Amino acid sequence: MQCKQASEMMSLWLDGRLESTEVALLDAHLAECETCRAEWHGLQALDSLLASAATIETPVRMRVQVMMRLERRDQARRAIIGGTALTLGTVALALLLVAPALLGLLDALGIAPALIRGGPTTLLHLLDVGETLGRTYIGLIGRLIIPLIILGLCGMTSALALNGLWIGALRRLRASR
Amino acid sequence: MTEESTWIQRAREGDQNAFGRLVVAYQTPVYNLAYRMLGNKVEAEDAAQEAFLRAYTHLRSYDPNRPFRSWLFSIASHYCIDRLRRRRITWLPLEDEFAEPYLMTNKSPNPETVTSQREQEEQVQSLLGTLSPTDRAAITLRYWYDCSYEEIAEMLNLTVSAVKSRLHRARRALASSIEGESAYAMQTG
Repeated sequence: MQCKQASEMMSLWLDGRLESTEVALLDAHLAECETCRAEWHGLQALDSLLASAATIETPVRMRVQVMMRLERRDQARRAIIGGTALTLGTVALALLLVAPALLGLLDALGIAPALIRGGPTTLLHLLDVGETLGRTYIGLIGRLIIPLIILGLCGMTSALALNGLWIGALRRLRASR
Repeated sequence: MTEESTWIQRAREGDQNAFGRLVVAYQTPVYNLAYRMLGNKVEAEDAAQEAFLRAYTHLRSYDPNRPFRSWLFSIASHYCIDRLRRRRITWLPLEDEFAEPYLMTNKSPNPETVTSQREQEEQVQSLLGTLSPTDRAAITLRYWYDCSYEEIAEMLNLTVSAVKSRLHRARRALASSIEGESAYAMQTG
């Protein structure tokens, strides 16, 4: 038997992974090889040192600390979900409210070149048109207030649902890792 | 269904009290594993808590056909290995590194026994500290948890032959360190 093979077998012997025939072979090699015998004694000394090391007492507050950290993490997660949903809902609502004004602005930009060509008379006409538009806008808001509120609520609900889907997808991703 | 599998099932359904039972059942082995790996009781406590939190978070991915102990030790070992790798670029407070652990055996030992145990404990931790994180995990799981090669391989994502060679290499390195220490002690008297 080669010393390299004997060295590998020593570790297996310490772990009880050698057959009795292999033990006999290793024993015979150890009887005639002083270097391997010294290595074997060193490994045995290590084995008894590690095997005799005591168990360390666990800190008494371990369970409480783990549960507190779990609770804190849940609170943080709830705060993130709530905050994101609220932000998305508010943004959706704001967009719905601003949408008519944005559309009006786009129309105004389209007639700008005609205004420049027409001069002061056109500006007076424009003021009339602006007054009429303002009245129409106020009237429209008065009539559309309920549908707008419903749309806003739908926006918030959609934001919440999307948030739920997003967090679910994140969880699945983390679990799959 | 065993009591443990009932707790696991309930914890998977979000019952934190059931998970608390699992923490109580496994806190000593997980904390000791972290201590043997990190050699520092403050870090070990934090690592053990983190391992439990990770276990709770990933409980849905736990396969009930596998032993829960192996699964939990795998999480704790990997977390400690990562932490040791990160430690290379992080300074640690010295007082924590050498803080004395409280040993569970001998509740009222005499001073000589305490000193001897403390010295032995320091020697063990100093020896483990010379190993690479993965070798340290393999030796810890083998000696303090009596894990088989197959279990260690599964926990550390290694092959069985890799576990064999890592244990062999680590033992030889540790035995040489002991020999070196003894030779030095003899020289210095």
